[in-house]
Amino acid sequence: MKETKKQNQTTKFLVVSFIGLLIFSVLVFTVLGVFMSKKSTQAVYEVGNLYMGGIGEQLSKHFETTIELRFEQMDGLAEVVTTENFDTIEDLYTELAYRAQIRKFAYLALCSENGDFETIYGETSIQPLRPEPFLEALNQSEKRVVIGKDANGKDVILFGISVSYPMSDGDSIGLVGAIPLEDMTTVLSLGQDDNLLYCHILRPDGTFVLDGADTHSADYFNSVRSQYREGSHEAVEQFLTDLDRSLQARQNYSASVMDYSGYRRQVYGMPMPYSEWYLLMVMPYGALDQVLGDLNLQRTVMTFVACGIVLVLLSLIFLRYFILTKKQLHVLEEARKTALEATKAKSQFLSNMSHDIRTPMNAIVGMTAVAMTNVDDRDYVQNCLRKIALSGKHLLGLINDVLDMSKIESGKMTLSISCVSLKEIVEEIVGIVQPQINAKKQTFDVHIDNITTEEVLCDSVRLNQVLLNLLSNAVKYTPEGGKISMSMVETESPKGADYVRIETCVKDNGIGMTPEFLEKLYESYTRADSARVHKTEGAGLGMAITKYIVDTMGGSIEVQSEVDHGTEFHITLDFEKVEPKDFDMTLPSWNMLVVDDDEMLCKTAAQTLKSIGVKAEFTLSGEEAVKMVVQRHARGDDYQIILLDWKLPSMDGVQTAREIRRELGEEVPILLISAYDWSEFEIEAREAGINGFISKPLFKSTLFYGLKQYMNVDEVSDPESQQETNLAGKRILLAEDNELNWEVAHELLSELNVELEWAEDGQICLDKFSNSAVGYYDAVLMDLRMPVMNGYEATEAIRSLERPDARQIPIIAMTADAFSEDIKHCLEVGMNAHIAKPIDIQEVARILKKYLLDE
Amino acid sequence: MDLKSCYLRLGGDYDEVLGRLHKESLVEKFLFKFLDDGSFRLLEESFANGNHEEAFRAAHTLKGVCQNLSFTQLYRSSNEMTEFLRGGTGLDAPELLAQVTADYRQTVDAILAYQTSREEHG
Repeated sequence: MKETKKQNQTTKFLVVSFIGLLIFSVLVFTVLGVFMSKKSTQAVYEVGNLYMGGIGEQLSKHFETTIELRFEQMDGLAEVVTTENFDTIEDLYTELAYRAQIRKFAYLALCSENGDFETIYGETSIQPLRPEPFLEALNQSEKRVVIGKDANGKDVILFGISVSYPMSDGDSIGLVGAIPLEDMTTVLSLGQDDNLLYCHILRPDGTFVLDGADTHSADYFNSVRSQYREGSHEAVEQFLTDLDRSLQARQNYSASVMDYSGYRRQVYGMPMPYSEWYLLMVMPYGALDQVLGDLNLQRTVMTFVACGIVLVLLSLIFLRYFILTKKQLHVLEEARKTALEATKAKSQFLSNMSHDIRTPMNAIVGMTAVAMTNVDDRDYVQNCLRKIALSGKHLLGLINDVLDMSKIESGKMTLSISCVSLKEIVEEIVGIVQPQINAKKQTFDVHIDNITTEEVLCDSVRLNQVLLNLLSNAVKYTPEGGKISMSMVETESPKGADYVRIETCVKDNGIGMTPEFLEKLYESYTRADSARVHKTEGAGLGMAITKYIVDTMGGSIEVQSEVDHGTEFHITLDFEKVEPKDFDMTLPSWNMLVVDDDEMLCKTAAQTLKSIGVKAEFTLSGEEAVKMVVQRHARGDDYQIILLDWKLPSMDGVQTAREIRRELGEEVPILLISAYDWSEFEIEAREAGINGFISKPLFKSTLFYGLKQYMNVDEVSDPESQQETNLAGKRILLAEDNELNWEVAHELLSELNVELEWAEDGQICLDKFSNSAVGYYDAVLMDLRMPVMNGYEATEAIRSLERPDARQIPIIAMTADAFSEDIKHCLEVGMNAHIAKPIDIQEVARILKKYLLDE
Repeated sequence: MDLKSCYLRLGGDYDEVLGRLHKESLVEKFLFKFLDDGSFRLLEESFANGNHEEAFRAAHTLKGVCQNLSFTQLYRSSNEMTEFLRGGTGLDAPELLAQVTADYRQTVDAILAYQTSREEHG
């Protein structure tokens, strides 16, 4: 419950923070978008202003130069055509008209003091719209352009310079040239459609000189007022007031206003030179706003897309994180469950164990008490002690299992590999389980097939443990009268020629295991399902340990089991071969008969016998065997030895032996093969004429040693005695202070044909050794207690000498002290071994051989 | 008097020594050698001089010789002496010394008696 709550809290926090983050990012993006949009609008307006300022500047410059040019033309004309040069006014006028024409003036006129205009050249007369300021400028010799009209009402621009020419009624005050206003408009390129902006030219009172937008209104102010919407009245008035002020003061002016259609337009004004005019440029923002709008739209879209991508990414990350968290929680939960299960199994195990331990403990305590009260009854006490011993053994087994398991769990179990005889191991195991099997009246078969390599490298204790565990389980879980068998087969090992593969199979027809149980078979602290197996005792560790050992040995274990039909364990192990000792297992080429109802056993036995030189025949029943023996006897070609199985169908081994003896007499040795302890029937068998017993399994060596004693020819020589003479000629330095002891030693060792030299104390020993040639002495026998320098000091001194054999030469202690600390001290100072006094020549010979011959 | 009864007299194990040395002549030879062995004298002298270390070594050697010759009785007392001396630094063991001396005398007497009887019988 608590966990769920916690998990919910975590989820809630995650969701809330995610949503918070979502909102925050949307907000930030929105604010950013709006801000950017404002800024860019502002920037665009500024750019517009700058653009219009530039255009205005250009326009007015252009206007200025155009005006200036016209004035210069006028000045030039006035300079060239003077009154004195012409005789008649007509000539003068003609000249003026001509000059005006080539200077592309449309009109030329003279102006009198009171403002009368006399046209010299041009289609019609011209008249300024407002003569007063024009005349004033003329009088003051100021260059100023004005707008006028010709007789057709067409707008013209007038350029007046003050110059005096004769007129019809007195002298003129000025010469006035004129061009059509359109020309000027063209010059200023005003009112063209493809321009972004259009221009007005205003007089100080706001009336149009030039109406770039064709407003059809005389006054800009009115035209503006008429165009703008009601709502923006105040703003428009403000704009107009400001514009008027700038107009009067002839200052630059810029503003942006809203027009009737809701579009903004930018207005830029500047005074024009050579006139009282004012240039007003208007840029409708329709186009600009379009661009801006597009830009904003794009940016907004982009912003939202970016925002979306970020959000999607965030969501993905969040989702992934969420899933990971969930997974982690799940894993944690799993681990917790596993730990809980393990704890549960362990406590279950503990409670089982306490029960299992208590049972034998109770037996021990109880039996001890019973024995105490019957201390005088010898047999009774013996019985009690036997039971106590049994319980003690059982207890020890339990504790060993637990210790093994803890070793395995802490990874400390290692194999101690040594040379092992498979034969001995199997024999030992059979010997151990035999009583248990007999007690439950089960039948037991051992098959050893084709084992040619008996000596292998392996950990005998652990291998024993594995096989014993399988066998005792088989016994344990097989009801009385059941059948148990064990077989061992040697095959080629995939690891190479130096290895053999030993396949061992342990089979029973007991209660078997359920498939569910098989799955947990190798787990610790489990045992066969408690419902069916109640009183079986044990730690429940056996199979776990077995599996671990087999794994560590690099082997494999397989199991097949069926409830109520039995179980079969199959173990495959590869062992390194040990080269067999260098002596030949050969027997004389006897004719032998092997009798066993198991054909497999007969075949393998015959094969093994053949490999040691014996010609063997076999048969499967006692009756047949008797027949064969009698036949041979009749031929005078008797079997030299007969091997009989104890258990045979109808006629058993003992009966068969009796029969053969009756037919043949006592001559031929008959041996009984038995996997069982033959003490029970030994007397009966001996009476029947059985000469001896050979125990199953039938290894090569079992057969060889079992049969060898019936070989009356030359005895197989003991391989050790062959080496007896090999110590001859070895030179040994003996350090011994006591003359009598020396003589005894000398006397005894002389039997070994070694050359003995005497050093009376440690110092002499050291001197003798250091003065000898390298390799002169083969070994040193060292007494420990000596005057001048004792054995320990002498050994240390010899070992620290600078010569190649100083560290190699075997130094063997000889002392009357056999305390373990002395022995330890001996080894510490560098001695190789220790021999206790009094000198036992066999022991000395053994030790010397070990160090002198092994090299 | 034969070797066996000599061993009986000095409190030794004749069978054992024969088992190890194999030949009676050898046993006899070493028996007579024992009369010249200086270990016991060295032990006495060391006690007189108060030389603990020498005394220990002498006792040890005597014990070793006894083992070699299977002088069980003398071995026992000399072994006791050895162990006493191994343990400490003192020489304050008059009873032990007396015991060793007595056993030694008995051993030497037995050997001398045997020697005499051998010489008498040729």
